[in-house]
Amino acid sequence: MLKNYLKIAWAVLQRRKFFTFISLFGISFTLMVLMVVTSLFDHVFGPQMPERESDRLLFVNNLREQFKNDGMSSGPPSYYFLDRYVRSLKTPENISINSIFTTVNSYVNNKKLTLDLKFTDEAFWEILEFNFLEGRPFSAQEVANATRVAVINQNTRKSYFGDKEAVGQYIEVDQVKYKVIGVVKDVPALRLHSYADLWVPITLKSQDFKRTSLRGSYFATIKAKKASDVPKIKDEYGQMMQQLNKQVSKEDKEVHSYADNIFGTFARSFLGGGTKDKSTFLYMILAGAAFLFMLLPTINLVNINISRIMERSSEIGVRKAFGASSKTIIGQFVVENIFLTLLGGMLGFLISAGVLEIINNSGIIAYADLGLNLRVFAWGLLLCLVFGLVSGVYPAFKMSRLNAVEALKGGSK
Amino acid sequence: MIRHLFKLIWNQKKSNFLLITEIFFSFLVLFAVLSFGIYNYHNYTKPLGFTYDNVWQLWLNPQTDSTAHNLAVQRELIQRVKSFPEVEHASLSNSNTPFAFSQMNNNLSYGGKKDIQANVFNVQADYQKVLGLEVSQGRWFGPQDKASLHKPIVINQKLKEELFGDEEAIGKLLPINDSSQYAVIGVIDHYRSYSEFDPEEAAYFECINLDEEKSYFWNGLVMKVKPGAGVAFEEKMVRELSRIAKDWTIEVTTLEKMRQSKAKMTTVPMVALGLVCGFLVFNVALGLFGVLWYNINRRYAEIGLRRAIGASSKQIRNQFVGEVLVIATFGLLLGLLLAVQFPLLQVFQLSSAIYWESIAAAAFLIFLLATICAIYPSYQASKIYPAVALHEE
Repeated sequence: MLKNYLKIAWAVLQRRKFFTFISLFGISFTLMVLMVVTSLFDHVFGPQMPERESDRLLFVNNLREQFKNDGMSSGPPSYYFLDRYVRSLKTPENISINSIFTTVNSYVNNKKLTLDLKFTDEAFWEILEFNFLEGRPFSAQEVANATRVAVINQNTRKSYFGDKEAVGQYIEVDQVKYKVIGVVKDVPALRLHSYADLWVPITLKSQDFKRTSLRGSYFATIKAKKASDVPKIKDEYGQMMQQLNKQVSKEDKEVHSYADNIFGTFARSFLGGGTKDKSTFLYMILAGAAFLFMLLPTINLVNINISRIMERSSEIGVRKAFGASSKTIIGQFVVENIFLTLLGGMLGFLISAGVLEIINNSGIIAYADLGLNLRVFAWGLLLCLVFGLVSGVYPAFKMSRLNAVEALKGGSK
Repeated sequence: MIRHLFKLIWNQKKSNFLLITEIFFSFLVLFAVLSFGIYNYHNYTKPLGFTYDNVWQLWLNPQTDSTAHNLAVQRELIQRVKSFPEVEHASLSNSNTPFAFSQMNNNLSYGGKKDIQANVFNVQADYQKVLGLEVSQGRWFGPQDKASLHKPIVINQKLKEELFGDEEAIGKLLPINDSSQYAVIGVIDHYRSYSEFDPEEAAYFECINLDEEKSYFWNGLVMKVKPGAGVAFEEKMVRELSRIAKDWTIEVTTLEKMRQSKAKMTTVPMVALGLVCGFLVFNVALGLFGVLWYNINRRYAEIGLRRAIGASSKQIRNQFVGEVLVIATFGLLLGLLLAVQFPLLQVFQLSSAIYWESIAAAAFLIFLLATICAIYPSYQASKIYPAVALHEE
């Protein structure tokens, strides 16, 4: 039965080439846009190198001090706060403290390199999974001794050393020489918590450790033992903040800070004013935007489908006259339409692979490595099915109500 | 004729409903994207009020908290920068240099006008020469300001209008706090430094007095270099400055680069939106074309009959193009109901001229699209021979 439907669908597709082109064009481009957006989303929030086990990772990147006399200060927390309060949490498996990246200059062969430098501890390398091309991360010993060693990314190796091996050589940035001990694959710039061109031991910035203000320029990355521990860590974090608020209450201020996954930190800072958890709300906004975007192509497809099905009214008349129920006819057209959307979806995949390649090469996003993976593919498939179902049901329903006699006459009002 | 067309479409409103919805949504999409584009274009064409070629910028980040020490180092830094033969002029500034991501605001009051928000730019007297600012009334900061009783400020035309309206601005005093006042000494026509695509905001300049300042530190340093100064000079300068300011981080960049990265923040979303919108509209156009073609084929007999009783092929063509335009008008009217709310209710604080322009442009594009889509199928319809059509029936 299904095979027959597919055969008919194929024959119909070949009959009116222009209509087929319009349908396929609409479907494939709509899905292409959606898939590019999904891929971007996955690139920013999904589990990607080096934050591969994203369901076990939490990030602290903001601390907000609300003063009683209306003043407010918000931004990354200080080393003091992270070291004293966050590091003392019991539930996490491991905690890394690292600085926000700063831009530094390096001059090589009369050329200027602008590099992003990040100060990190040894836990950073244990929590995150970087792809080392050569060498190794720095050890606890090197961090403790504040040794001038650096891990650089592939791009920096290329522009500073050429394509030669870099481990063992020295790189000079801002008039300081570091010995290169490792080279990693480029980390996308949108991964704010891990991204840098050059990573060096955090102890080289030890003058920051003494400052006891709560606000500063550091992030923390927390890894849970298992994904189900994440809510427990959030609870413990909340309790720790409550304790802290008791201590600072005499200074007439309230302190807010949270540990979230990447999507959560984003939603909180953009929609929650830095204090409320707005992940669900942001998901709803994104779903709404996708729906609005799909609306126009869907209506268009419905319109075309109606025209196409009208042409086949005599066929439907014959089937009805031989006893096919409305249900079977609706079923047939929905199957046909899903077949069509899947075909368009496949084309969409090919086109989006090309578009992603263009975006990667254009340099709009530094070190972008957008690609189609299984997750994006699964999302695309789901979108195809929804699209096909929505745009196929209404025309099929309209057709199934055709009067057999009139349909056989070939006319319909 | 036109009334007749409306009647035809109205009678068929059920089968034309989907086409009308499609036009309606296309109009809204076009309206939104065009508003965004026209808004940015309007801003882009306004004068910036300064020139940025051969202007470099330094960010200074000291490592210690001791302001007194930092200020001493900073004084040495600016002296050294000015002494390079490649540097024409240099001035300290806050972090809100042109095209930077930081903004600083202050509220000013004058007479009945309370708390007018304005951008504050703390600069040295040489800032004018670095950026080529032109003072249209009064004067820029000079040595005589050191002795003045009030703090001198130079304001832009926009702030002048907001505070004083048509009155003369020069010499007016504005309260800072209970004990001190600003004195307006000059007006410049424009200063729009945040982004090329942002509207001009009220702004004023305050003069940095390094001899008196004890507690504040300036992160920005802008300088005009001689044409041809390149990376070699940059490296030399950074090396020398690092020797004076040990352990400081010094970032160097050019205003041209800052402008480009700032412009990207607007152009990338605009191009992405434009592409998506273009695709949607093209998609709709193809759909419209297909449906019209099919509809006209279905009305073969009707056309044959009309031709047989004497309608010319031109009349047939006009009828079909007319019908499509009437459908487009229905969709447009629905969309217009929504779109006019934007200028009427002043949503998003854009000037209503921008909304009206985008409504007009969107409507024009929709009609153009509908006409293009209708021409070919209508042409086909007009080519139908009455004898053939009636014979088939």
